[in-house]
Amino acid sequence: MVQGLIDPRDTLERQNEKLLKIAATLMRRVEQDTDSSGLAYAQFERAALLEEEVRNRTRDLERTLDLLNLSNAKLAEANRETEAARANLTNAIEAVQEGFALFNAQDVLVMCNSRFGMHMPDLRDQLQPGLRFDAYVTLVSQNPALALPPGTTAADWALRRMTRHQDRSVMFNVRLHGDLWMQISEHRTPDGGTVILQTDVTDIMRLQHQERERLLDDQARLIRATLEHLNQGVCIFDTQRRLLGWNRLLGDLLAIPVGRFRLGSRFETILIRLREDFDFAGNITANEVETWAKQDGHRPALTFDIQNPAGRVLTVFMQDMPDGGFVISFTDVTQERQSARAMSEAKETLEQRVLERTLELEDALAEAERANASKSRFVAAASHDLLQPLSAAKLFVSALDGELPTGAPRDTLQKAANALDSVETLLEALLDISRLDSGRAQVHLAPVDLNHLLQQLMEEMRPMAESKGLRLRLRPTDHAVLSDITYLRRILQNLLSNALRHTQTGGVLVGARATRNGLRLEIWDTGSGIAEADQTRIFGEFQRLNATASAADGMGLGLAIVDRACALLGHPLSLRSRLGRGTVFAVDLPRAGNPQPSPPPRHAERSGEPLSKLIVLLVEADTDLREALSLTMEQWGMDVLACANPAEAQSLIDEIGLPPDVMVADIPPTECPATARAMAALQDKHAPLPLCLISAGRGPQTQAVARQLNVPLLAKPLNPEHLRRFLVAQSPRAIP
Amino acid sequence: MTTRSATAAAPVSGTPRAANPSLSSLAAASGQIVRTGFAPAHAPDAVDQLAQALHPVADLDLVVLFVSPEADVAQVIASATERFGPAQVVGCTTAGEIGATGYTDGEIIAIGLPRSHFASRILRIEDLSAYDPQAMIDAMIQNRTEMTRTHSEWAGEFALLMVDGLSMREDTLTADLAPGLGPVPLFGGSAGDGTDFASTHVLFDGNARQNAAVVVQVRSSCGIRVFNTDHLRPTQQRMVVTGANPAQRQVHEINAEPAAREYARLLGKDPEQLTSFTFAAHPVVVRIGGKHHVRAIRKVADNGDLMFFSAIDEGVVLTLAQSQDMVGHLSTALSDLTRQQTPDIILTCDCVLRRIEAQQKQLSPQISALLASHRAVGFCTYGEQVNSMHVNQTLTGVAIYPPTELTTTTAEEKAWSRA
Repeated sequence: MVQGLIDPRDTLERQNEKLLKIAATLMRRVEQDTDSSGLAYAQFERAALLEEEVRNRTRDLERTLDLLNLSNAKLAEANRETEAARANLTNAIEAVQEGFALFNAQDVLVMCNSRFGMHMPDLRDQLQPGLRFDAYVTLVSQNPALALPPGTTAADWALRRMTRHQDRSVMFNVRLHGDLWMQISEHRTPDGGTVILQTDVTDIMRLQHQERERLLDDQARLIRATLEHLNQGVCIFDTQRRLLGWNRLLGDLLAIPVGRFRLGSRFETILIRLREDFDFAGNITANEVETWAKQDGHRPALTFDIQNPAGRVLTVFMQDMPDGGFVISFTDVTQERQSARAMSEAKETLEQRVLERTLELEDALAEAERANASKSRFVAAASHDLLQPLSAAKLFVSALDGELPTGAPRDTLQKAANALDSVETLLEALLDISRLDSGRAQVHLAPVDLNHLLQQLMEEMRPMAESKGLRLRLRPTDHAVLSDITYLRRILQNLLSNALRHTQTGGVLVGARATRNGLRLEIWDTGSGIAEADQTRIFGEFQRLNATASAADGMGLGLAIVDRACALLGHPLSLRSRLGRGTVFAVDLPRAGNPQPSPPPRHAERSGEPLSKLIVLLVEADTDLREALSLTMEQWGMDVLACANPAEAQSLIDEIGLPPDVMVADIPPTECPATARAMAALQDKHAPLPLCLISAGRGPQTQAVARQLNVPLLAKPLNPEHLRRFLVAQSPRAIP
Repeated sequence: MTTRSATAAAPVSGTPRAANPSLSSLAAASGQIVRTGFAPAHAPDAVDQLAQALHPVADLDLVVLFVSPEADVAQVIASATERFGPAQVVGCTTAGEIGATGYTDGEIIAIGLPRSHFASRILRIEDLSAYDPQAMIDAMIQNRTEMTRTHSEWAGEFALLMVDGLSMREDTLTADLAPGLGPVPLFGGSAGDGTDFASTHVLFDGNARQNAAVVVQVRSSCGIRVFNTDHLRPTQQRMVVTGANPAQRQVHEINAEPAAREYARLLGKDPEQLTSFTFAAHPVVVRIGGKHHVRAIRKVADNGDLMFFSAIDEGVVLTLAQSQDMVGHLSTALSDLTRQQTPDIILTCDCVLRRIEAQQKQLSPQISALLASHRAVGFCTYGEQVNSMHVNQTLTGVAIYPPTELTTTTAEEKAWSRA
C-alpha cells in the first residue's frame, strides 16, 4: 500500500526526508490543521462523508415536515370547521325567532342574538359578551321599557329576578310598556351555563285577554238567561250593596217597574220599597235585614217571609256571595201558604168531627152495654124466677103421677112432665147463655181427665142414640187437658146431642188426637152436613137448620152456647162438613200432662175441688199468720187445730182425744232446736204423723234440723201452693 | 467494475403518477413527454430548428440548452429566450454533446419540459465568488414549497445544476446548496469549453454568463431517478499530497516530490508525456467512508504542478484507480435504469474525461449507440455534481419515467403511512 510512496532510487536520506514530509502532511491533515484555503476540499470531504447521513436526516426531516404540514393542515381545517361551526351557531341563533343568550357557568354572557333584549333597543349596545348576568338583570330592571308591577321597585324586581335565576328551570312572563309581553325561560346547560330564551308573547297574551273577555261575555249572557229562567225574583248586590243584577220576575213580585231597577241602585232603596209595600212576617224586622246587609264578613243565610196587603206572600232568601256581595231571592209562596192554611183548617174540622163521633159512639156503646146487662139480668132473673114455679110444677106433676091410674090421663101427665123437662132444659140453656154473655162467668181451669169425662157423656147420650138407632162410639184417650170441666162438659154435651140430633142414620164417633200444641177432640157424624153458607149462622142463637125438627129437639141454643163457651175458655172451635156425608166439629184443647200421679196444677186451689178432709195441727206463734193459715187451709176443706206452741198442741190433742192427720209447725229461728225437738217428740208419740216445718230462717242450722228430722222445710214467706202440695201428698186419695 | 447509482431519488419515492387522465393521454398521443431538439451550432436558424423540434413551444415550462462552444452562445441564448418564452430557458456550454446519436460535437441540444408534466423554478447564482448562501437556501426552499402547493399531486422532484466549469467553486457551491435541497436529488454538470479550458458559460435570463451557476428545481408528474456512476476501481497504489494550493486545485508535491513527476513515476511514465488521455486512463481517487471519489487531473502545469478538476488539499491520500470495461459498465448502468420501466428520457452529464477515454480506447461508437438507444441526451462536462458533492469522471443524470397508473399513493398518504 505504501510501497509506492518512496522512490527506491532515492538515497535513504532522501527517502527519509520525503517520508517525514509525508508524515507531517498527513498529521496536519488528520489534525485538520489546514488553513482556510482548504475549505473547498473539506466541504467536499464532509459532503462525501456525511452525504448519506445528511440525506437520511433530511428525509426524516422532510417526513416530519410533511407530518407537521399535515397537522397544520388538519389544525387549519379544524380551525376552519370551528369557525364554520361558530358561524353556523351564530346564524342558527340568529335564525330563531326568540331572543337567545348564553351565559357560561360563571354567569358571564358568551353570546346572544340580535333579538335578545327585544323591546329594549337602548340595551343592545350593552349586551356584549363578557356582560355579567347580575349586571344584565340590573340593566333590564332599570330599563324604562319594563313595566314594573305595582308597588315594585327596580331593585325589588332585580332581586326577585336573581332569586328566580337560582332555580334550575325558570319560565315567567314580563310585561313591558305599550302592552307588550315577553316570556322568559331559563334553562341550565350541562356545564352549568344558562340559556335564556325570550319569546314575544304579546299576541298570545292579547288573544288570551280577548278570549277571556269573550268568555266573560258568554258567561254574563248565560247568567242573565239563567236568572231570567228562574221562577224566583233574584237580585244581586256587590260588597257596597249596589245592585249588580236582577231578573224581570223581581219587578213582578215586588210590584216595582223593571225600569226602576238601575245598575248600582242601593240596597237601602229597595228595602224602603219593601217596607212600604210589605209586612215582615215572622220574627224578623226590616231593620234586622238592613243590619244583615251592612254586616261585613261572613253572614249566615237569612230566610223570612213578607206579605203585602193583597195577601201575596214572598219567601225571601238572602245569602252571601263569595266576593263579599250577596244575593236575594224572592219566591212567591202565596199558593203554598194558602194550601197549607186550608189543610190546617180541614184537619181541625176533621178532628172535631172525630171527637164528636167518638163521644156519640161511647154513648151508644154504654147504652148497648146497659141494654145487654139489663137483658142478662132480666134473663137471669127471669130464668131464676121461672125455675122456682117450674120446680114446683114438676113436684106437683110427679106427685100427681102416683095418684093417676094408667091410661090416657097418665099419658097426658107424662107428656106434661116431658114438657116441663123441656122448659127446664130451655131455661138452663138460657141461663148459661146469659151467664156467658154477661162476662161474669167464672172459669176455673184445671187438668181434666178427658177420657173419664167422655165416658160419662157416652153413658148419658147412649139412650138417645139407641132410640134413633144410631151407633155412638168413643175412641178412648188417656190424655188430660187443661180446661174448665163444667163448661167443657157442656160444650161436649151440646156437640154430641147436636150430632145425634142431626144424624138420621149411621152414627157418631168421638175421638181425640194429639196436635202440636195439645189435643184435638173431634165429633164426627154421618148427618146431612152443613152448607158452607150456613156454617157461620148455625152458631147464632135460636138458629136451627132443619126447621122440621121438633121443638123437643132443641131450641137452637146448643151451638150458640158451644161457641160462647169455647171463646170463653180459649178453645178454638172449628167445623168441617160435606153435604150429605156428615160433619166434624173439632175443639182444640191444651194438654195438661198426666193428671193422675202429678201434683195439682198451678191454679188447682182455685179449682174449687176440695182436698181430702184432713185434720191439720198448725203450730204457729204469730197470731195473724196463724189465723190466715187456718182460714186458707179451712177453705181447702181441712179441719185445722191451731196452736201457738208445741205444748199447747199437745194439750189440745190430749183434750180432743183424737190425733191429727198432719202437723204443720213454724219454727222460730231463735228457738229452732227446742221447737224442733218438741215437734219431733209429738211426731214420735202419734207416729206415723207427717210433719212439715215452716221457717223464716234460711240458715244452715234450720236446714240441718229439717234434714235431721227428715221432714220438708217450707221457707217464709210461705207459698200456699207448696203447703197445699204437701197436704195433697198426705192425702189418702188422689185429687181427681 | 464499480457501478454507482444515485439512490437519492429511488424509484419508489419518485414513482410517476398522472396528474389527470387527459394530460396522460395527451402525453401518450405525442409519444414522448420530454421533447428534444438538435441543431448544428453554426446554423443561423438553429433556434428555429430547435423550436420546430420542440413544437409546440407554447406549452413548455422549461427549455434547457446544451450549447457547443462553437456556437455564438450569447446569440443563441438571447434568441432562444425570446423564441421559447414564456418558457424559461437555461443552459450551459459543453465539452461535447450527447445528441440523438450519442456523442457529438458542434451541436445545440434542446430539451423541452412540457407544462403538462413539469413545473420548474430557476435559482440564479450570478457571481460564484460572491453570493449569499442563506438567501440561496431560502429561495430554494420557497421555490420548492411553492411547487409543492401548486402541484401537490405530482410526486417527482429533482434539481438540475449548471455551473461554470472553470470557476473552481463547484465544491463550495454544492455544499452551500445542499441545505436548500431537502430530500430532492440534485444532479448537474460543470459547463465545458471543448477541450480548450478557456471560457465556459452558464445561460439564463437570455444571457451567457461566466463564474455563474443556475439551479433548476423541477417538479413532475413523471417518475424521477437521479443516478451517478463510474467504471473505475481503486488500486493499492497510494500517494500523499504533500504540497498544494487548494484554492487553485493545484498540487505542487506528491510524496514530497514534484507532483507531476511523482504521478508519472508511479505510473511508470515519462513526466513529460502526461496528457489528458493519461489522466483519463489513470485517474486518482480519494477514499472516504468506504467509497471512492474521482479527483480528476485536468492538466500538468508548466511548473510541473498537477491541476485538478475538483477540490484538493495537502494531506489528502490519493489512490490510483484503474478503469474497467467501459461499454459493459455503461450497458449495465443503463439496463439498471431501464429494468423496472423504460424511461421517457435520460438526461446525462458525462465527464469529458470519459469521452476522451472512450475515444482513446475507440469505444465511442459503442458508447454512443448505447446512449442513443436509451434516449440519453446531455453534454460532456468538466465535472459532475450529485447532491451535495462535486465529483469527476462519472456519468451522472436523471432518468425520467412516464407516469403510470400503477401507484395511487400520494406524498401525503405516504406521510400518513409512515406516521
